[in-house]
Amino acid sequence: MHLPRQVLYKMQALTQDVDVRISVGQCIRTLTSSKEKEEVTKALQKLASYLNDQPQSRITSAQQEEFSRAHYTRTLQFLISNINADWLQHITAAQRTELWDGLFLRGPPDQALLVLMDGIGTVRGPSAALDHLVSILERFLQSSRLAILIWSRSKGTGPSDSPQLRETLLGRLVALPDLTANKLHHNNKTLFLPQQYYPLLAREILTVLEKTCQALRDGKDCSLAFVAQVLGKACVHGNSGLVFDVLAPSLSSNTRSDMVWQRVCWKLLENTPERWLESVITGLVQAVSRPETLSRIMGNLVLKNKKAHFVLTHKLLLLQYKYETRVLRVVLGYLAEDRERRPCLIQVLRALCQAWANPSAVRHTPLEQQLYVSRALLLCVALLSDAELLELRSELLQCMLGGMQSHLDSSVVRVRRLGMVVGECLSSRMDIDGAKLKFEYEQDDETKELLSLLTPPSEETEPLADCLDLPQEVKGQPVPSQAASVPQTASADPNSDLDSDDDLPPYDMSTDQEMSGAAPPCYLRDCLEVFLSSDDPVRVELSLQAVEGLVKRNASTAREVSVELSKVLLHMEDKYNTEGFLSLRQAAMVALTVTDPVAVTGYLTTEFYSMNYSLRHRLDMLEVLAMAAQELSQPIMDKGVQSKGIHPVTSAVSLYPGKDPVHWRQVVERRIQSKTKRLSKGVTRPPAKPTPNRYAPVAGNFFFPLLRNYDRPQVTFDLLGSDHLVLGRLIHTLGLMMHLAVNAPVATQMGRALLDFVWAVRYHADQMVRRGVLFAVCSTFLSMPSESLLVELRDQLFETRAWLADVAEGDPDADCRNLAVQSLVLLEKSLKTGLNPTALGLQS
Amino acid sequence: MMAPPAPPPLYTLRGAGSPLNALHFSCYGGHTPLLFSGSCQGSVNVWNLITRRAEKVLDGHSGGSVIWLNTLHSKDALISQGRDMRVCQWDLAEGRSDVTDTVWTGSVGFCRCSLLEMGPGTWLLAHPGEAMEEVKIIEMPSKRPVCSLIPEGKLGMVMCIKLWQDPGSGPLLLAGYEDGSLAVWDVSQRSVLSCASAHPEPVMCLDFDPAGKRGVSGSSEKSLASWSLDGQHRLQLRNAVALVNPGISQLCIRGDRKIVASAGWDHRVRVFGWKKLRPLAVLQHHTDMVLSLAFSNHKDPRDRLLAAGSKDQRISLWSIYNQD
Repeated sequence: MHLPRQVLYKMQALTQDVDVRISVGQCIRTLTSSKEKEEVTKALQKLASYLNDQPQSRITSAQQEEFSRAHYTRTLQFLISNINADWLQHITAAQRTELWDGLFLRGPPDQALLVLMDGIGTVRGPSAALDHLVSILERFLQSSRLAILIWSRSKGTGPSDSPQLRETLLGRLVALPDLTANKLHHNNKTLFLPQQYYPLLAREILTVLEKTCQALRDGKDCSLAFVAQVLGKACVHGNSGLVFDVLAPSLSSNTRSDMVWQRVCWKLLENTPERWLESVITGLVQAVSRPETLSRIMGNLVLKNKKAHFVLTHKLLLLQYKYETRVLRVVLGYLAEDRERRPCLIQVLRALCQAWANPSAVRHTPLEQQLYVSRALLLCVALLSDAELLELRSELLQCMLGGMQSHLDSSVVRVRRLGMVVGECLSSRMDIDGAKLKFEYEQDDETKELLSLLTPPSEETEPLADCLDLPQEVKGQPVPSQAASVPQTASADPNSDLDSDDDLPPYDMSTDQEMSGAAPPCYLRDCLEVFLSSDDPVRVELSLQAVEGLVKRNASTAREVSVELSKVLLHMEDKYNTEGFLSLRQAAMVALTVTDPVAVTGYLTTEFYSMNYSLRHRLDMLEVLAMAAQELSQPIMDKGVQSKGIHPVTSAVSLYPGKDPVHWRQVVERRIQSKTKRLSKGVTRPPAKPTPNRYAPVAGNFFFPLLRNYDRPQVTFDLLGSDHLVLGRLIHTLGLMMHLAVNAPVATQMGRALLDFVWAVRYHADQMVRRGVLFAVCSTFLSMPSESLLVELRDQLFETRAWLADVAEGDPDADCRNLAVQSLVLLEKSLKTGLNPTALGLQS
Repeated sequence: MMAPPAPPPLYTLRGAGSPLNALHFSCYGGHTPLLFSGSCQGSVNVWNLITRRAEKVLDGHSGGSVIWLNTLHSKDALISQGRDMRVCQWDLAEGRSDVTDTVWTGSVGFCRCSLLEMGPGTWLLAHPGEAMEEVKIIEMPSKRPVCSLIPEGKLGMVMCIKLWQDPGSGPLLLAGYEDGSLAVWDVSQRSVLSCASAHPEPVMCLDFDPAGKRGVSGSSEKSLASWSLDGQHRLQLRNAVALVNPGISQLCIRGDRKIVASAGWDHRVRVFGWKKLRPLAVLQHHTDMVLSLAFSNHKDPRDRLLAAGSKDQRISLWSIYNQD
């Protein structure tokens, strides 16, 4: 028979394959049946000899390959299924480690890992067998088999395997902490915890990348697909932080001067599957500290990959707002770094401008996001060159003007301030004919931070920090010590200075204030006269200072002139720039309202809806009403009466025993007291003395007139239209009055009216109004007796709850969400407490 | 750390019955500590600081306001200046209260006299003269005129004066004038040594510390001027101290040169550290202008008091910065 050579070779190989199969089969049979120690050891040795790192073996490499390909997995599976066999107990521990464990640790790592993970999954635990497998897995990880695993699939011609196998392997690799934790519960090893495992994985990835670089330099082909997949999958599982904490510093320092490394990094990111790219990028930008570093690692990925483009120019900036300013700086700096990427920066700027200036966004997005967009916008503008600025000037100007208008329209102080700060910064950057915007606002941390964004951070220090690759603390150390020493020398000087001066300690001199020449008025009518006719600033100021005290002291006179004085005060203007004018005037009006509630509230509530008042006036009226209600609802604190009220009973008893028929009761009480052991600790306080609530009888006078005319728009005042600032305050004030009316008989009617009123505006576009509404609802739930609340809400219970749940979930304003949650809790509580069977049925 | 509030007065003396223009302590020596006060109605009250009652009321200026008080060698030889244009010398020994001698000054202004002890039993008294800008100096108790000092330029009425003597040289006189300038006179040469414009308004009061060669002056403005004399007796203006309210009636440097007090038209007495004129305390008690001030000359520094006389007819006594 004459056979061609190829066929001959093939047959030879086939016979070899058959040999391997036969000998492996023999070994396995031996292991199954034999009880002899020697035979078992020999069989194990025979199996081990097929693994490629046995130098003295007579096994050909072809046989080894055949074993790895076809028999290794089976062998390991067999070993695990016989893990409780008797022979395993007979051989020594050393032999077991050498032969049995070695089979796992020296074979192809991918198969070993899969079998091990399967074994751990299937073996019943807790048992010695499971412990054994876990310890093998631990050693598997410790002896960096993972790097070998990943590298074996990155080498030029990696094993071509089925996508299913690849997926499974990736899954096992990335989910190892989850799988072990699920199986081992409390007995989990620390190495398998995510905090340990993912950094380990990252280090193995680095090793593989290093090897790849080496191979590329040697002119060999490599594939980064598998590494990229491992990285992507680890990141998408939410471990990007842990992975990049290890990866980013090394990548940063390696790519500094090495082009091969840079190319490897770019390829790595390009090879990352689309669906995992986002989490890789977000992890990377958070771990990197400088734009240049990101540029080195990422290259021009943003131009090549649509997904990366979307994430970097849109999602990170406009859709998400959780990142620190540093991340924004890195991303925008990255876009600005390269000439090719510059168009992206312009595009981003346009998008940011639109987002910042959009009135609907100002109204409907959370403040935190607006702050985030503003930061991004400022950083972006800071990065523009003068030429680009000139080109974009008209757009920027439009954005600035429109955006400032929509910000300044807002009723939230922080939003307004945001508009002012950003407007100022933009105008100063654009330099419109040297003209700049300048607003007056209070400086706080937020505004300072925003203002600081326009100036780039110092350039010199950080690259050093980057390349030295040292932990921050070490480098930071000399600085604090210096800083500590400087103040010492500085503080020594003033001290010696003080010593040289007379060592006399000064007394408090805060009371040393300017004196005014004129005497304060003594009568209320004088004050009124001064307000009406005087042009002397000093007299007006003195009268204003005196009027509150005068009202409180002479209640009867105050009642005579209350409405007139209120009118004068309400219309009074701060003509002389009096110090504390607003608070003095307010205090006077509150005192008047408290002294003569019915008449003054009548006046104020009527005026609230009349024509020709400014916003400020209407807000003042509301504030005065609210404060007066608050003051009325508080009990009068009279210390003299209270201290006397503590002991009158006992003294009466001791003085006149038996004379008064009431006294027997006190005697009995005292006896009971002396015989009773009290377990509570601390001083027993005298019971609070009940005083009549002054607010309860007049609560209606405060409340109902304000609800009368809200839906009748006038020329100058449209509560349901543009004057939402007043509407918000009004609802808030009503809510406060409701809250103060707790336990008042009129509370039920008030609550009903208030709920009716706010129901109409519960979806108002302005967040202040919504806050007011929720506050009002909250206070109604608190103040209304629960049974009447249920009666009132009967028809709208479900709707109310759905509305509250909706707000609690989806309102852009954090305060609104909190208030809604609170209202829901209160509603549930009153449902539970004031319950009757029908309500129970409703609730369920 | 919060600074403690300023202390309240130790006690107050009422019953003078009119605003108090002049105060003088006599607490040195073994006798009962006394406080003399001169009122607007021309009476001098002698207060016993142990019983805190007026021991005696002296009436020698026939209703003219008493603007300055001092004692010669002992508590019994009181010397008082009134706006009846006379300076009276009193003998108060053994319960007497007689005017032993008077000097006619001819001055209708408000300038207080100044007294300087030249040797045992001789004093120099500087008092404003008949002409508005004139300062006359006489020897006491002999009443022998020494000189009359009239500035050449138009400085206006003389407002306040202070006599002192450097060891080893002749007596010198500081005078503040109506146009706000200060002048240093050499009494023996009868010449102006230097002149400086310290205030835009009339100089209301001044005090000088011969040992430190520094002084302060007050006016009707919202600041105190401080100045010093160099070796050639040239006046050098130093930094001014701002006040909260305008107007100072009197300034007093305490004998130990630690603090200086000002009597303010704003009813308050202000205390400053003397070295740097650092504000230390604001003493609030009076309900009207404070017109006069005096530091006591108790033997024990810890007993030393500050007295303030006010237009509200009361004298407040303060114990301040006198521990160690």
